[in-house]
Amino acid sequence: MNVRTKSVVTTIVFAALLLVGFVMCVTKPSDLFSESERRELASFPQFSVESMISGEFTDGFEKYATERFPYRDTFRSIKAGFNTKVFRKLDNNGLFVAQGHISKIDDAANPKMMEYAAEKFSFLYNSYLKDSNTNVYFSIIPDKNFLLAKSSGYPSMDYDKFISDMRGKTEYMNYIDVTDLLGLDDYYTTDTHWRQEKIVDIAERIGDKMGVDVKATYEQAKLKKPFYGVYFGQLAMDFAPDEIVYLTNDVLKNCAVTYYDTGVPKAGEMYNMEKAEGKDPYEMFLSGTTPLVTIENPQAKTERELVIFRDSFGSSIAPLFAEGYKKVTLVDIRYIQSSFVGNLVDFEGKDVLFLYSTTLLNNSMAMR
Amino acid sequence: MVFSGIPFLNYFLPCAILLYLLSPRPLKNTALLVSSLVFYAWGEPLYLYLIVSVIAINYVLALLIERYRGGVMAKVFMLLSVAVCLCTLGYFKYADFFVENFNRITGLSVGLLNVSLPIGISFYTFQVLSYIIDVYRGDVAAQKNPVNLATYVALFPQLIAGPIVRYADIERQLVKRTHSFLQIADGIRRFVIGLSKKVLIANTLGELCEAFYISDEKSVAFYWLYIVAYMLQVYFDFSGYSDMAIGLGKLFGFEFLENFNYPFIAKSVTEFWRRWHISLGSWFRDYVYIPMGGNRVGAVRMLFNIFTVWFLTGFWHGAEWNFVVWGIYFGVLLTIEKLFLGKYIKRSAAIGHIYTVIVISVSFAIFGAGSMSDAWESVVCMFGAGGLPFVTGATVYNSKSFAVVLIVAAVAATPLPKLLLQKMLKNNVFKKAWDVLEIVVLVSMVVLTTAYLVDGSFNPFLYFRF
Repeated sequence: MNVRTKSVVTTIVFAALLLVGFVMCVTKPSDLFSESERRELASFPQFSVESMISGEFTDGFEKYATERFPYRDTFRSIKAGFNTKVFRKLDNNGLFVAQGHISKIDDAANPKMMEYAAEKFSFLYNSYLKDSNTNVYFSIIPDKNFLLAKSSGYPSMDYDKFISDMRGKTEYMNYIDVTDLLGLDDYYTTDTHWRQEKIVDIAERIGDKMGVDVKATYEQAKLKKPFYGVYFGQLAMDFAPDEIVYLTNDVLKNCAVTYYDTGVPKAGEMYNMEKAEGKDPYEMFLSGTTPLVTIENPQAKTERELVIFRDSFGSSIAPLFAEGYKKVTLVDIRYIQSSFVGNLVDFEGKDVLFLYSTTLLNNSMAMR
Repeated sequence: MVFSGIPFLNYFLPCAILLYLLSPRPLKNTALLVSSLVFYAWGEPLYLYLIVSVIAINYVLALLIERYRGGVMAKVFMLLSVAVCLCTLGYFKYADFFVENFNRITGLSVGLLNVSLPIGISFYTFQVLSYIIDVYRGDVAAQKNPVNLATYVALFPQLIAGPIVRYADIERQLVKRTHSFLQIADGIRRFVIGLSKKVLIANTLGELCEAFYISDEKSVAFYWLYIVAYMLQVYFDFSGYSDMAIGLGKLFGFEFLENFNYPFIAKSVTEFWRRWHISLGSWFRDYVYIPMGGNRVGAVRMLFNIFTVWFLTGFWHGAEWNFVVWGIYFGVLLTIEKLFLGKYIKRSAAIGHIYTVIVISVSFAIFGAGSMSDAWESVVCMFGAGGLPFVTGATVYNSKSFAVVLIVAAVAATPLPKLLLQKMLKNNVFKKAWDVLEIVVLVSMVVLTTAYLVDGSFNPFLYFRF
């Protein structure tokens, strides 16, 4: 090829590339919702003279153009592959693969967030629990980096210090340590959460410490749909999916589950099969994010009741406490004001468990 | 809008090229000017009036200088133009710096103006100054066509981050330029290489710098790792942007001068500045240093000239004391080299290179700091006097994680890849294969950079606000 021919070919190839890129961006933006990232992507910004002058329109357009780029997921995969396979980066956007798991680097404890969480707990204790003849317990669930990061050569938080600091701020609660029962297999490989079928021993430990026998025999059921956890989409690389196994028995089948999402009680399911088919199948456990939910066990051999202040880890373990209680109430103060909880929940004479993951305690701004 | 962004690459550039192609020859500069003003307004709509005013005022003043050439009035108009440019730059870039320091010295609390810095103001005011001074000196004729002058000043390929293009260098091209497939293909090649330098290398190194900033586990080794990464990041960021500017210029028929020439292979600081941001160095040389007498004066006056130029060079980079100190630091080094060190480091290329790398590293520690106290802390910690451990877990992790990109960047910052390619092209079989392979490589680089941009990775542009 002589120099001129090569120049002509180069010019034509790049002109075509520019033109195709332009036409595709204008005519075929990617979907508004990213299934893999589980989030809504940017919409086309509203144009006005004010928004143009303030820079709101141009900023919005830049976000729109970048996020709604055609074949977004394919391009993200190309980037992740190049970053990790060619540049040999040990993580891609903070996500890494080790010991058959995907996880995210989260090595910095945030004392302000820990303090904020402790203040919320203190408020709840002083407002509702201190004078209510309650037994108050606290247990921290370390995220999977507790077992994965350091042993795989990734930056890791000092979990012992984290737990010790949180315990120091919540001395009015009886602490229940479950860390010795946790193994890497107890967590989904593509998600942050733990697997219900692997945490029966943890429910039994907590029950035992609260003086309640929650031991039970369960049957395992599997979701047909493969489970691609939250880290899978963020990683943007090929990875085998998990499967969701859930536990059931006669007691659980006969439990009455009531949701108070709107303040008005509404009967529902322990395992929400509609959510199981949705964007985040883990939300099948007690329907995922919900401010207040109760599980009532008509076959209970006791009158004892349990209130759990919890995050999403609590959704999958809570059913396992049903065996030992007449009623289990779950409260998520990310979706209900702490100052309002007392209007909906009576704490008198009940067991109260604060069950939180290190992830939420370290990012507690959502607590209200 | 930055070149390394989806809005530019996939929306603006195709439209600008199409508009240019469809415009008849007499209107090509108008088409470029319209595109350039849209490009500028996209990022800074409020300051469009400023750049248009600077162009309009200096268009008239240049004509007046030419009309009164040789007379006192020509000098008056030239000085008026210089005052307009410097006052504009002074107000928008340095006003709050002066107020802050005035308050600090007097103990008063004069309110800050909080003026936001117009994009590219440092570059376009310097371009206008070079034009006016060249017209005054009689080196170039005043541009009669306002569209041509506006196109020169606002030309989007070099508007916001240089290189500082002299009017004299593109005077003829503004009026009459040719377009060839050879030049366009060369421009495409240059643009894609620049885009890849910026997006693949500079941005990835930027992630390492970011990891350093937020780390609670700093160490002596981490400071050095950061400085190396930061030096290379700034180089690939800025030289990548210059490559893109030069490449875009070629697409529209312009030939801009080179702005970088492998600065990290320099064996002295003097040589480093002949290779780094060449358009800025030569601007200060031709419009400040030489008019002040350069080195054809007595020793004391020469030292004064050197320090004035380097004070201004530092100050041009930012309204912070660390930039001033950074400039003066180079003034000191260049003086030492000129007076006695130069002849010693010339004797051994290895020693010269090691010396240059170390002193340049220190300069980047000052340059990259947010304040003088940060700069001092960086330098102290780099040399083990900060009470930090030598190495930490974060140092080891980031060294491993960024090892490949650091090696790629270090090699790509030298002429080695270019020399290797030239050597391989002497082989006929490879040369034939390269004809096809090069296009495949360039297309792959575009796909890859797009992938990085779509993923929304770290994409700051360091010279955007200078």
